[in-house]
Amino acid sequence: MTRRLLVVSAGLSEPSSSRLLADQLTDAVRAAVTARGEDVVVDVVEVRELAHDLATMMTTGGMPTPALSRVRDLVSAADAVVAVTPVFGASYSGLFKLFVDALDTDALNGMPVLVAATAGTARHSLVLDHAMRPLFTHYRAVVVPTGVFAATEDFGAAGLAERVGRAAAELAALMVRTEGVEGFAPDPAARPRRSGTGVPDDVTPFERLLRGHSG
Amino acid sequence: MQFGIFSVGDITPDPTTGEAPSEGQRIDAMTRAALKAEEVGLDVFATGEHHNPPFVVSSPTTHLGWIAARTERLLLSTSTTLITTNDPVKIAEDYAVLQHLSGGRVDLMMGRGNTGPVYPWFGKDIRDGIDLAVENYHLLRRLWREPVVNWQGRHRTPLHGYTSTPAPLDGTPPFVWHGSIRSTEIAEQAAYYGDGFFHNHIFWNKEHTEQMVKLYRRRFEHYGHGAADQAVVGLGGQVFIGETEAEAKRFFRPYFDNAPVYGHGPSLEDFSAMTPLTVGTVEQVVERTLGFADYVGDYQRQLFLIDHAGLPTDVVLEQIEILGREVVPVLRREFERGRPAHVPSDPPTHATLVAAGPDAAHHQVEPARARISAEEPAV
Repeated sequence: MTRRLLVVSAGLSEPSSSRLLADQLTDAVRAAVTARGEDVVVDVVEVRELAHDLATMMTTGGMPTPALSRVRDLVSAADAVVAVTPVFGASYSGLFKLFVDALDTDALNGMPVLVAATAGTARHSLVLDHAMRPLFTHYRAVVVPTGVFAATEDFGAAGLAERVGRAAAELAALMVRTEGVEGFAPDPAARPRRSGTGVPDDVTPFERLLRGHSG
Repeated sequence: MQFGIFSVGDITPDPTTGEAPSEGQRIDAMTRAALKAEEVGLDVFATGEHHNPPFVVSSPTTHLGWIAARTERLLLSTSTTLITTNDPVKIAEDYAVLQHLSGGRVDLMMGRGNTGPVYPWFGKDIRDGIDLAVENYHLLRRLWREPVVNWQGRHRTPLHGYTSTPAPLDGTPPFVWHGSIRSTEIAEQAAYYGDGFFHNHIFWNKEHTEQMVKLYRRRFEHYGHGAADQAVVGLGGQVFIGETEAEAKRFFRPYFDNAPVYGHGPSLEDFSAMTPLTVGTVEQVVERTLGFADYVGDYQRQLFLIDHAGLPTDVVLEQIEILGREVVPVLRREFERGRPAHVPSDPPTHATLVAAGPDAAHHQVEPARARISAEEPAV
């Protein structure tokens, strides 16, 4: 079964080191998934291209633009997400956070996520564990143990490729994991994933909403 | 089909002068807008309800009563009545009195309200929003339909042997709409009782409005009130009309750019593309509005937001004039042209509900439940 990988890169320059790292991670995840005998389709979201849409959404009480609706659907339809941000002011960039804020609160339920960041100095590397990881945990995503941080000097150093490979393998393992047989021992606590773009079909019947309220 | 205006009742400084009306001036401007609506042949005036600045619409029935005294035909409605934080007992009394005073020219639209602090101000919790909407509305239905109510719920003191006074005019409760932008539970609620569903429409993309209305229609049929295309649907709209499109945009742009809700955000052009906002000529407004039926189906009520964003009162009155004299007559004709015979042109009114008699579904607290039990085979 073909798996879908969504790659989010919040770099601002052209070319950006965040995109460079995102591409390396993409190749590594693709290799790791195909090595496990499955196919993978990749969608890349350059958050910079959505900057205008994100500002529109935030200034209209949350109305998604057509472009954002498409991306929100892509996110929730993915089997895994690679998220890469530049470090600004000791955290993820504001634009990256704007993108995450534009997602439905149920958009990432149970989603395998690989977090990665780039910066000018390795002194920022804890951004992955102090900012990115708690953010995605809040969204009930499953963040793989290995985060990939690339300071400028890492792009010419040994060790980055190894970390990329390890993180990709952890993500691929979650992507091709065999789910339990459908309908067999369903998990009542599992929250369904929703992109929030459409109106859900599964409306709660009113008799149930009215229970205990009709006097 | 019914056409009218709905007001949010905001005090917004005119961005071109920096001047804001006083509260008294704003209330008076709303009254004048309502009177103008009747004068130029519109059918409905609806007022919002808010309990915080910069709004002046904290007492809708007071205002609607005053307008009722000065009009003959105009149907008085709300957009919306806060079913969550108002006491349903008080809603039942207030709107029954308004029915009597106005000769039945009343319907109302239930809404949850979107201002967080309003809930604690009225002793409620926003996390109970849907729950409150469900319980309070059900109690309201009973108060208007049962001569003596014994009731116990989760969010209010129980009632023992309570009679709401006055009883609705001619023993016939007003028609009710439920307004919601995103809550499927509210569309479901409207469908369950066979009430109307109103979508604000103007602050969201039309694809979303279409899906919400479809859901309501599907469930309306499910609960046995008629076919999906016979469900009672209302939509909001937002227009600014000028001699030419360029002139309309030139005048309205500063108001758009500084408007509450969407100001300082997208361009007028982008927002017009994403939402029903139409700034242009009479012809453009007519064409755009007729297009609404392409995605929600033939519907019964169209309300326009006109008096907002700090527009001067004389401009608002002129806009209502153009709407009533030039836009709506064409819309009335064209909307009927494509409407199948079995789809109602109008929402229920006091006259049609009275004519339907005391045994009509409208008089049952839960018409759907009666139907469901009737369909269940006897054991």
